[in-house]
Amino acid sequence: MKLLLPILGGLANIAIVLVLAPFFQGVLRKITALIQSRQGPPIWQSYFDLLKLLGKEDIESGESPLMQRFAVYLAMATVLTVACLVPMGFAAPMNAAGDVILLIYLLTLCGICTLLAGLAAGSTYSLLGTSREMMTMISLEPLFAIAIVVGAVHTQSFRLDTVLNGSVYASAAFPWSGVIMLGVMLLSFQAFVQRVPFDISEAETELMEGPLMEYSGPKLALFKYAQMAKLVIYSALFVTLFVPWGTGLMFPLGWLVFWAKVAGLVLLVTLVAATHARYRIDQAIRYFAVLLLVALVALVLASYGY
Amino acid sequence: MVAREKLSRLKEKFGTAIQRADLPGAGRLFVFVEPAALKAICQHVFRDLDARYIISIGADDRPFSGKFMVAHNFAFDKESLLTSIATYLPADNPKVDSISDVVPAANWAEREIHDLIGIEPVGHRYLKRLVLPDGWPDGVHPLRKDFAWNQVPEGYDDTREFKFDEPPEGCTVVPFGPFHPTLDEPAHFRLYIEGEMVRGCEYRGFMVHRGIEKLAESVLTYNDIPMMAERICGICGCVHNVAYAQAVESAAAIKPPPRAEYIRTIMLEIERLHSHLLWVGLACHIVGFDTLFMQSWRIREPIMWIAEKISGNRKTYALCVIGGVRWDITPEVKDELRKLLDKLEAEWTPVVAAVSKDKNIQKRTRGVGIADRALVKNMGLVGPVARSAGVDIDCRRDHPYAAYDRLDFEVITEGGCDVWSRVLVRAKEVFESIKIIRQCLEKMEDGPLQLTIKDELPVGRLGLSSVEAPRGESHHFVITGENNRPRRWRVRAPTYQNLQGIPAMIKDQQLADMTISLGSIDPCFSCTDRMETIDLKSGVTKVWTQEELLKLTRTKKT
Repeated sequence: MKLLLPILGGLANIAIVLVLAPFFQGVLRKITALIQSRQGPPIWQSYFDLLKLLGKEDIESGESPLMQRFAVYLAMATVLTVACLVPMGFAAPMNAAGDVILLIYLLTLCGICTLLAGLAAGSTYSLLGTSREMMTMISLEPLFAIAIVVGAVHTQSFRLDTVLNGSVYASAAFPWSGVIMLGVMLLSFQAFVQRVPFDISEAETELMEGPLMEYSGPKLALFKYAQMAKLVIYSALFVTLFVPWGTGLMFPLGWLVFWAKVAGLVLLVTLVAATHARYRIDQAIRYFAVLLLVALVALVLASYGY
Repeated sequence: MVAREKLSRLKEKFGTAIQRADLPGAGRLFVFVEPAALKAICQHVFRDLDARYIISIGADDRPFSGKFMVAHNFAFDKESLLTSIATYLPADNPKVDSISDVVPAANWAEREIHDLIGIEPVGHRYLKRLVLPDGWPDGVHPLRKDFAWNQVPEGYDDTREFKFDEPPEGCTVVPFGPFHPTLDEPAHFRLYIEGEMVRGCEYRGFMVHRGIEKLAESVLTYNDIPMMAERICGICGCVHNVAYAQAVESAAAIKPPPRAEYIRTIMLEIERLHSHLLWVGLACHIVGFDTLFMQSWRIREPIMWIAEKISGNRKTYALCVIGGVRWDITPEVKDELRKLLDKLEAEWTPVVAAVSKDKNIQKRTRGVGIADRALVKNMGLVGPVARSAGVDIDCRRDHPYAAYDRLDFEVITEGGCDVWSRVLVRAKEVFESIKIIRQCLEKMEDGPLQLTIKDELPVGRLGLSSVEAPRGESHHFVITGENNRPRRWRVRAPTYQNLQGIPAMIKDQQLADMTISLGSIDPCFSCTDRMETIDLKSGVTKVWTQEELLKLTRTKKT
């Protein structure tokens, strides 16, 4: 029983993510269309797109097809593992299976999958995309890590359920570090979910999808699926870390409040994506560098109890 | 008179090297010179008299005068004068001094003359193949009169490959095109990249060259060609249509009736409106700002509808015949057009206001794709690219045609030399176009649409016409001929010159800026390549091999 419950909970989380991810993508597309005075695809279109791609011929192309296949499976697996570790309306199901350090590792692994995919494709454009992705990762990944570490410092714990519960505000004094990190994460969230203005490594009009350019059929479907899931999971992480209020309510209420907050975040992502032009890689890196500096200040503040 | 004054200055300086001259009317000057003096005269005209280079033309004149002809066209924009400096060359082994080291903008035109006519520009530093396909045999020149329009050259070699230049030390090669999401047409750039920086590039284009000029000289008639000319380009087709008609009219000294001139002006401006809105949208798409892309295309759509109402087509208006136009603007359309312009103005004003304040777009476009005054001069850049560098040229004002001499409008210039300035120029020109159409609707007088031309057009006369396309000046050169068709017709679309400025514009820039820099000249490859045809007769899809396709193109089916 002790083993079964976390596994069932984890599976439930995975199921929720898999079911909801295309829905949120559909909402995102619909709202984008409305902003652009278009009718847009039906809200369920993303499900059909995935089904269609999954049913297509599985073409082996690119430099090393084996690595390409591996990159996709790894991407999907990583995202789903993260899903098991993040509370989604309930407590984190596999709480005992890992700590926040594992979470930080897994989040980094998501980015590494894109690098692998780009390397496996081996074309000039995918390599360019890979180098851009690498630069982005180096300056971006520390931000989420710092946010989690700030929470860990405040609560003196690495436990998932303790840290992923608005812990960034859990200092004795006014939580300056938490507030600063909230700002930093809001400003960089677009980059974590790889949307305009930070879809630099895939930039269709420059790099023709970059690392993904050799992908087609089922493999492309899985990669796209992983990306959609990423939007949900990062939103869930953001909500548990920074907007914990209301999650403690009675079952259907708390759960609904949680998903309403996630939906709100997706809406924000959509609005930003629809009203911005893509940044150039050097501009983006400079932007991230400033955020990183601010985040480090927050870390120092946190270690002094603010 | 300006033309006379320029001619006497040339005669003073070069004396007997000026063989004869022709001043057919206001704004045109044809000077025939000694081949040996051609380069010096062009240098004098380009550098000392500060004329703008337009294009060079080669023609096979052997059946008529027993000689080849080369002409370099220049424009004196401030003095409303288009001039052509021509020379005749001996029939065997024709050679002419290259002017490309004193007029860098002539680089492509001279290579094209070398490819298609077989006149060697002596002293050209980079005489690589430009227009002809890779497998085309050397020494066969399709625009010569003894080469039939449907002839297949002996020794065509499918396997021959184009030899690219060696990339500079330390650079990797990034192939850009022939097919790329931001290129709507095939063209190939070999970019030399160091990290994310572009250090240089080589261009291989002309992939959709179909020999439209050859077709015009050998099978079409005067009034067929406007319809063909229109199909040179899918965006600024009407420009080519009007420019051709005007070139023939200027050669034959015909003046279309005033109502026709107003209708030409209206259609040209409708085309400019649709093209500018389309381009602003595309530029936004390239930098990833899809919302404005969609909005500006939505605003553009009614323009397409009104064009359809007038001409029966959203594009390809089939407007001109020699001496007039084919469609009238009825009172009903007039009203509708007025309403549409009001709506367009009301919708476009807030967009321009929003865009000009948007920091985000400026970040991607300011200081990007720099084309300064020197580059504009040397490469003969035209249109919004020139105007964004503060070069105040616009054929509508400088070389007025159709009804533009009776209209009041401003030429928009900016000083930034970059993509951002080009965005501003084109966004603001929309308002000028609206103004122009309104004036046309006001001033348009009743009268016939076409001139009745009873006699044959005079033979062997030269005609020039420059029309300001949305992307810049489109220039047509015509030599009238026998059998109801011209002897030679040369089209120079604005992209032909603007594309030559691209290597300098993208050098030492980020790779990410390459697409928007290229997009900022609004490249039209089929204009440059001249003519692309698609057969829609059968709906059957078949995958053709290259051999099959070649076979198909070479066996004539009726």
